[in-house]
Amino acid sequence: MPRAVRVGSLIALVVLTALGAASTQAQDEPGWAKGRPKTDEAMKMAPVPAFPVPTPADQLPVSKFKLPPGFKVEVWASNVLDARGLRQGEKNNIFVSTLFVANKVYVIPESGKHEAKVIIDNMPLATGIEIHKGSLYLATNTKIMRYDNVESNLDKLGEPTVIYDKLPGGTDHSWKYLRIRGDKLYYAVGAPCNLCDPGEWARIFSMNLDGSNVETIAQGVRNTVGFDFDPKTGNLWFTDNGRDWFSEELPNDELNVVTQPGKQHFGYPFCHQGNIPDPEFGWGKSCDEYVKPAALLGPHAGSLGLKFYTGKMFPAKYQGAMFIAVHGPWNRTKKYNGVFVAYPDGKGGAKVEPFMTGFVENNTYLGRPVDFLVMKDGSLLVSDDHAGAIYRITYSK
Amino acid sequence: MRGLAGLFLCAAILLVLASAAGAQQAKPRSGKPASPAAAPNPYAQRFATLCAACHGANGRSDMPGTPVLAGQHMFYAITQLFLFREGRRNNEAMTAVAKGMSDADMQGFANFIATLPPVPAPPPPTPPDPARMKQGAELAKQHKCVFCHGADFAGGQQVPRIAGQHEDYLQMSLRGFKSGQRPGYTMAMGEAVHPVTPEELDTLAYYAARFPGAPAPASK
Repeated sequence: MPRAVRVGSLIALVVLTALGAASTQAQDEPGWAKGRPKTDEAMKMAPVPAFPVPTPADQLPVSKFKLPPGFKVEVWASNVLDARGLRQGEKNNIFVSTLFVANKVYVIPESGKHEAKVIIDNMPLATGIEIHKGSLYLATNTKIMRYDNVESNLDKLGEPTVIYDKLPGGTDHSWKYLRIRGDKLYYAVGAPCNLCDPGEWARIFSMNLDGSNVETIAQGVRNTVGFDFDPKTGNLWFTDNGRDWFSEELPNDELNVVTQPGKQHFGYPFCHQGNIPDPEFGWGKSCDEYVKPAALLGPHAGSLGLKFYTGKMFPAKYQGAMFIAVHGPWNRTKKYNGVFVAYPDGKGGAKVEPFMTGFVENNTYLGRPVDFLVMKDGSLLVSDDHAGAIYRITYSK
Repeated sequence: MRGLAGLFLCAAILLVLASAAGAQQAKPRSGKPASPAAAPNPYAQRFATLCAACHGANGRSDMPGTPVLAGQHMFYAITQLFLFREGRRNNEAMTAVAKGMSDADMQGFANFIATLPPVPAPPPPTPPDPARMKQGAELAKQHKCVFCHGADFAGGQQVPRIAGQHEDYLQMSLRGFKSGQRPGYTMAMGEAVHPVTPEELDTLAYYAARFPGAPAPASK
């Protein structure tokens, strides 16, 4: 026994020394590079920056898009640099957020020529937007703000009310996606790295609309920038971006559903895609301790915006289904992306199929879908931050 | 000193030219480089008027603090014009030049810059210090410069060519990335230089400016 103890402490010492060395080395790497294999092919991969000029309207790839029979897609707006989140105001104005490139929020009137007008500028990571009772809620990586009576003040929004300024900031998984339901604002704080102990983060939260009463809705969520409430059940469905660098083909991004708010853990960093224990953090854990995904969305898919279809224009099978924007991988050799549709099976799972493809040519992105808006006529807007455009999908028999 | 005076003169000329450039009507958008067989590229003319005074007609001058554009890539050139236009990258002369540019202008200038072939640095007056070159090569390996800039430092896409770039400009850029004064288009450079000491950055600038450390010119 004493001998075993000695061996044990010796091992512990070796492990601690090794961990010390590893953490020194890890500090030198950007968060996104943590866990990256040291092979030449993997080392060449870095996030793909968006081009700083929108694709000219006549060169947008609409003619290359493939959709199911009966669906048509057209350019709804072009020249919208870095178009990310989409929301609509009560006076029909459409608000568009941006991420790394533009530092802006735009408004585009629903009628007319659909020209984007900058209403907020010089605001880095102005990505999370939501409209509620005439106010625009905007979340960056550091704070959440509210601009009141926004559609009457589009020429000059004025100073916002800061409702929350305790977001952790940083650059890894720190940008936001927002939904408001039942006088609660929902947002997430992603893991501050590719793979690490995320501490109090890697969670979806809710708060009162004045920023008070922050509550955890879900844990073990690496990075979600797309979620919506099932209009039938009220359950929150969300996309989650899986860890990087495990391998080219694993793990998949997850589609998840919260059925017990505040009580569920979705696995990160211990378990990926519901059945792969992490090679480092998975020791002593079992994937059975965590909520399994409702569906898998593809390796390194970059699954972003998620929206339940609530219009009437599309065929009946799309009622109650959700659209998912798969932005496409950066750290996978073979690129793919597109708009997917997921049908809940009523038993906690979902069937996922491609809905709109054709954004990739010669292994290069021509466009990358981000978020959705269901218009009042039932047509669907899709934003594309790579091409700086918004497409409109319609259906007729 | 003479160089510095030249720089100010150059900046002054630019400020005048830039306002003229901004007044020009925007050309129809085209994301594609002009075909060489087509009519003369209007941006070749505009480059000659607007850019060549500082950057040189072939994209290489010896104006202090002025980067070599020859051999630079379209994606890199357009991101820099964008950062100047948006007021994020700070240089009075370049901000003045870029301020009036439409997206089509940025695309046109970037396309033209990408047609300028690389111009090698003239042989240095004194041969590169072998010990410093060796140290630079080791630092470049250690800090993974080659993974983005390439083993030949030629860059590609959004990554600039740094082989043969002016040492003073490289030094200023690297120090700027480290202090946060020079914003990158992505976060890559800020993070890459974070663990590198200022002395090592200067050695990297020395090395890249003289890369690949051509045979000593003294051997004639």
